[in-house]
Amino acid sequence: MLLVKNREVVVPGQALAKGKFKPGKDVYIDNSGVLRAKKLGLADIKDNTISVVPLSGIYIPKEGDIVIGIVSKISGSTIIVDIRSPYQGAIPIPRGRTVERVDMSKYDLHLGDVILAKVKTFDGSSSLLLTIDMEGLGKLEEGFILEVEPAKVPRIIGKRQSMLSILREKTKSEIIVGNNGRIWVKSPSLKELLALKKALRKIETESHVSGLSDRISSFLSEELSD
Amino acid sequence: MPLYVEKKPDVLITEDGVRTDGRLPHEIRPIRMTVGILDKADGSAFIEWGGNRILAAVFGPREVHPKHLALPDKALIRTRYNMAPFSTPERKRPGPDRRSVELSKVIREAIKPAIFVENYPGSVIDIFVEVLRSDAGTRVAGVNAASLALANAGIAMRGLVAACAVGRVENFIICDPNHDEDMWGDADMPMAMLMESEKITLLQTDGPMTDEQFKEALEMGRRCIRFLYEMQKEALKRPYLIVERSVFEQGEV
Repeated sequence: MLLVKNREVVVPGQALAKGKFKPGKDVYIDNSGVLRAKKLGLADIKDNTISVVPLSGIYIPKEGDIVIGIVSKISGSTIIVDIRSPYQGAIPIPRGRTVERVDMSKYDLHLGDVILAKVKTFDGSSSLLLTIDMEGLGKLEEGFILEVEPAKVPRIIGKRQSMLSILREKTKSEIIVGNNGRIWVKSPSLKELLALKKALRKIETESHVSGLSDRISSFLSEELSD
Repeated sequence: MPLYVEKKPDVLITEDGVRTDGRLPHEIRPIRMTVGILDKADGSAFIEWGGNRILAAVFGPREVHPKHLALPDKALIRTRYNMAPFSTPERKRPGPDRRSVELSKVIREAIKPAIFVENYPGSVIDIFVEVLRSDAGTRVAGVNAASLALANAGIAMRGLVAACAVGRVENFIICDPNHDEDMWGDADMPMAMLMESEKITLLQTDGPMTDEQFKEALEMGRRCIRFLYEMQKEALKRPYLIVERSVFEQGEV
């Protein structure tokens, strides 16, 4: 038996369903078999699975995520990277025979450098390994870094990158979205950058209201009209 | 000689059960809850309850400093209850004291069962409860605010924690004691419940009660807490409903 509507705002502990439903992300089953929300978010019902799409929260790394980090420490053989999460990322500097195989110029990093990295392994607590040893990863030059709530990243990308392509097209900018809520932007001029920044704020505050893509599209057209 | 001397009212409760502020035994003081009012905190809440004004801020889960405090398998929960020097009739000496250390512990233990600490190993969740103006029942108001701030921060929780105090004045069991009843009443019992299972996570008593009175007080506390829970849910959802309404209104114009 379903106790909430699809896309309804739910609070932690709120009963979502009883019986034959399966718990998805951010849903747990209590001792009496009732499915309850773990976080403040939107109920998402797909077939028999109920999950909660959180409306806020910090970034918890996941293997395979693309993140934008800032080099915070370099100690001997590892580069420590801040990725806006409780856990710091580590990039081991290649040594020995691997040096011949990798592009060592990528590892010439300094404090404060902004890098695009991929989460290689994460054990859930202390050890978070990142990698930049891939095409397209590594130091980000030029551009600006904007920050958004990590919980809103899926909405900024959109279904099959729909939202991201609207943003790219309308602002004529290069945009890279990190799963940790950092966004790298290179715009043709300040005007596009500021419009994009406003659009991102709008996505953050209105992410739970349907018809978001259309609103953002017309908002950007208006902002950049003259 | 203190400059400010409090006087006990002649009558704390009339024979008809009317209290010093005109409430009946089962009535709660006016409450307003607001969430998300601090920009730099991950989650925040403000509660106005009678004369109480309490701010709660949540930071985290974040990196633990100093590092040796980190727990390998779960999140560490730290709580600080603090009263502003201007929150009481007479200036309160700033800084932690015996009472605020106790209340920090009590609030932490009331809130902790609600958090999925195992979801955030090796990190810390910091909860700050700042009392700006105090008027009896700050610990339960603090629990309500802290629970709202945690939910606002997007932390995984089993459910919200709601809290309310009950007390006894003469033969009346009263709900949400005010300042006079707190000072000169016969008994005072703050309690908190984890709302998903209605399990009690905080129960303190100060003053004598008979078995029957205790049972009555517990039942009254439960009813008050359920009412507070409804207010909490409304407070958490309100910001999103306001945005939704304004978007629809813009669309119509």
